[in-house]
Amino acid sequence: MNMVRGFATTLKHVIEGPVTIEYPEQERPVRERFKGRHALKRYENGLEKCIGCSLCAAACPADAIWVEAAENTDEERYSPGERYAKTYEINMLRCIFCGYCEDACPTEAIVLEHEYRLSFNDRYDAIYTKDMLIDPVPPGVQGTPQVTEPGKFTRSIPDMENPK
Amino acid sequence: MADIVTITIDGQDFQVPAGTNLVDAAKMLGTDIPVFCYHPKMEPVGMCRMCLVELGSISVNRETGEPDLDENGEPVVRWFPKLQTACTQKTYEGMVIRTTTEKVVAGRDDILEFILTSHPLDCPVCDKGGECPLQNLTMAYGPGQSRFVFTDKLNLDKHVPLGELIYLDRERCIQCARCVRFCDELVGDDVLAFHERGRRLQIVTISDPPFDTKFSGNTTDICPVGALTTTDFRFGARPWELDEVPTICPYCPVGCNLSASTRLDRDTGGKKIIKRIMPRQNEEVNEIWICDKGRFGHHHSRSTERILHPMIRKGDELVTVDWATAYAEVAARLKKYGDRTGFVAGPALSNEDLWELRKLTRLVGEQRQRGLWPATMSGIEAIAQAGAGVGTRVQDMGPGGAILVIASDFEEEAPIWWLQVKQAADRGVKVVVANARGTKLDKYAAATMPYAYGDAVAVMNGLAARARSRKKIARSLVESRVDGMDALIDSLKGVKVPHPEAADLLLDADDLLIFAGGEGLTLAQHGELMQAAANLLILTAHVGRPNNGLVAVWPGANVQGAMDMGFSAETTAALLDDPPPMWFIAEADPAGEDVRAAEVIANAECVVVTSLFMTETAQQADIILPGQSFAERDGTFTNGMRRVQRFYTAQGPIGDSLPDWKIFAHIGRQMGGDQPRISTGLVMREITEKVFRYADMGYPNLARVEKQFPDVGGDDLYYGGTAYTNTGGLGVQWKTNAEHEQHRLTVRPVNVDSFAADGLQLIPVRVLYDRGMWFRVSDVMDQRVPAPYVELNEADAAGLGIADGEQIAVVLGERTVEVRARVNGKTPAGYALLPMRLSDAPTLTVPAAGVVQKIEE
Ligand code: SF4
Ligand code: SF4
Ligand code: FES
Repeated sequence: MNMVRGFATTLKHVIEGPVTIEYPEQERPVRERFKGRHALKRYENGLEKCIGCSLCAAACPADAIWVEAAENTDEERYSPGERYAKTYEINMLRCIFCGYCEDACPTEAIVLEHEYRLSFNDRYDAIYTKDMLIDPVPPGVQGTPQVTEPGKFTRSIPDMENPK
Repeated sequence: MADIVTITIDGQDFQVPAGTNLVDAAKMLGTDIPVFCYHPKMEPVGMCRMCLVELGSISVNRETGEPDLDENGEPVVRWFPKLQTACTQKTYEGMVIRTTTEKVVAGRDDILEFILTSHPLDCPVCDKGGECPLQNLTMAYGPGQSRFVFTDKLNLDKHVPLGELIYLDRERCIQCARCVRFCDELVGDDVLAFHERGRRLQIVTISDPPFDTKFSGNTTDICPVGALTTTDFRFGARPWELDEVPTICPYCPVGCNLSASTRLDRDTGGKKIIKRIMPRQNEEVNEIWICDKGRFGHHHSRSTERILHPMIRKGDELVTVDWATAYAEVAARLKKYGDRTGFVAGPALSNEDLWELRKLTRLVGEQRQRGLWPATMSGIEAIAQAGAGVGTRVQDMGPGGAILVIASDFEEEAPIWWLQVKQAADRGVKVVVANARGTKLDKYAAATMPYAYGDAVAVMNGLAARARSRKKIARSLVESRVDGMDALIDSLKGVKVPHPEAADLLLDADDLLIFAGGEGLTLAQHGELMQAAANLLILTAHVGRPNNGLVAVWPGANVQGAMDMGFSAETTAALLDDPPPMWFIAEADPAGEDVRAAEVIANAECVVVTSLFMTETAQQADIILPGQSFAERDGTFTNGMRRVQRFYTAQGPIGDSLPDWKIFAHIGRQMGGDQPRISTGLVMREITEKVFRYADMGYPNLARVEKQFPDVGGDDLYYGGTAYTNTGGLGVQWKTNAEHEQHRLTVRPVNVDSFAADGLQLIPVRVLYDRGMWFRVSDVMDQRVPAPYVELNEADAAGLGIADGEQIAVVLGERTVEVRARVNGKTPAGYALLPMRLSDAPTLTVPAAGVVQKIEE
């Protein structure tokens, strides 16, 4: 009897087909909470969420993030508050995809997305600059920098909600 | 000494001097009482209520005077029913406080919650975030959660420029008034004030130009929140990302200790650069303050105008060469001209630079013509004999002391000393100001001794004469170790005393400190002034102990060091009188500052310079060697009180530049000298062996630090502010002859001749914000540097038909400079005050007769 059961198991697996897939021709969707390459987010009006506060860099255990900040003006506005990231770089060779930066970010500007295809031939190519990280401008609105009317953005930081 | 009393903090008894501020006393005993508005350098106001404690006194039986005891035999404490502010309490016998009880904890919690109701949540972008007392104290003592509706906060202006150096964020201000009190009480500049009341209470600037004080940056350090931030640093980095490098200000003889906050920077190709300059605590020198020139004047260190490579003139062109070629070429020229070379050292070369330059002069020939620029002040012998005693601190002087400031526009020439002397005056020290014109210090002086330009020596000599006639001569010192007494005493007989009452203020004091500047004096006169001061101090035994003696307000950060290393202004003057064919000028711009020097250098056969910038002098040079600023190299400066202090390398080199000492050593090598040392530490070791006054100045000694009060930096930000703890060393002062028992002291009669005033005399004066070769490139300060001007007496101006504000010409020999006339009733008749280094064209460094005229259309 035991023997029959053993054969049945084998047979079941024989007819089940392979579990591996032909990557890269085929791809499997990742889980919702998968942590891949970062993206810098924008608001619907095209302004950047990042305020250049460097808290992600401070939280990063691998010291992978480099931020330099500068000041917005109404003539040249990148983000709704006073400050924006002039330089934003992540060294993907250092990053351990822990997602601490995401947790540290007060404006939910940096998010680990689902992109995982990261390979480089040169160490310098592993440094993702702001241009490479930032989301495309939503359709119908201006990219950054924008010219904005005076008196509209008067806060140091955009109003924030607690993450849900 | 104050009485010692016993106080009880959290159940433990301590002995402290009576009348100490309770917060300070607790701090010294290791108990933190959190504060916002109280600052250990200012009087308490009790505005923020953060320092709440339970306060009581031991109840004493009125009849017996013994403490009442309870049934357990413990003394009975009578508590105040409500919490009290510790900052407004002074210690007294039987004081009992509790700082950790539930009541206190709840009190602090409430105060913080209350303060936060009006405080925005800007921490992620705020420049103070990370070193913010409000942040820290909220974490330590505050409520975990707010009961306040966030959207209900009051919104105020967030980006208010208070002048061009400081931004105010009105929402962040917690109304502690530290900034207002600093300007008002400590500095005495009435520039900030509160406006409106209640929740709308806000800081405004009430001066024109706004925030018009030379010390504005300090308010950003003591502001316990991010309400005041500097334009220079604005968003430059987060505080925790910065590396602090101890350094020394290269501008004036105070020698303020600075901390260079450095960080890597993308724009400069990933090099480490200075993001901001912060004060570094040295209670012996600048306490925790610095002036705005020191704070914002660091931009020359990485200006795009810096000279990047060695260059040699070929025909009309400057050709870039490598260092080896440059060394060989300089050595060849030095060999060719030999003794016919004049060496001139700038005012902010390090001691190591100067030592190597000195060694080079020895290899060149027998004459060793070691000049110093600017050639305006002398008197190193007077300092060596009667310099301010080791351990002198103006902060320690009390009502028994007196300070004489002579021939100096003190705030412009040495801002932090001015600040300290001004505060001394507030404490009752007799401050006497002697000058030929009114200066800002007059307002605080107990007396002034006005004189006509040229008579400074006579004023000083008059003081000595007064000491003689009032029998104030210290017999024991004079008899045991002073030479030249008889001649001096003879010369003082019958000398007129210009201001006897003011003189008596000085002569009757227990401590006497003299600050001597060089305004309106020829070089020879300045030497006499210094000797006259030394005479007075030695006669009256105000030498060889702290808070007594002579301090020269030298025209640069390391003029003292240059003199110690054997460079002198007299040599420069002699060189200008009898110019050699070759000049070797290190980090100085004589041709850009003085018409006479410009003339001489233009006619020289060969000029070699080390320089950061293409100065007037560099433009005349045949060989230009790129030196380094204070930020790119290490070394030591000796300040005006003879304190040798180390500064450290803060940022990477610009181009091929090298520190001057290395350049000199390499040239020396080509001339048959030693192999260059590999570090400044080794150069200093050589100095300690060869220069006896520097025997103790080895680097380990200079780097020694000790705990200082008040506590700053670290966890104590809320207390003293964001000045940095001293990690670089407190420095060491060299001892004067008066402090070496075995040395004899010499006095001699001085020559009191005034200069023959014939027509209008032009008096060069020093201003803090000038267009000196380094400071001019600090863009943030541009608006503070006045347009070139000359100050005229109204009668003189009227005679010449010149109106205030008019553009006029000053004729200096062959040249004319166009400047704006200022006729403001401050200039004595017959004189015109011409600030040094303010025009792009050379002017004067020593007084001279001159012509001021209207510009012909
Ligand atoms: S600006 Fe700063 S220092 Fe001035 S009152 Fe407000 S909180 Fe205090
Ligand atoms: S007072 Fe003098 S030494 Fe101090 S920061 Fe200002 S210029 Fe520099
Ligand atoms: S009330 Fe005492 S520190 Fe503010």
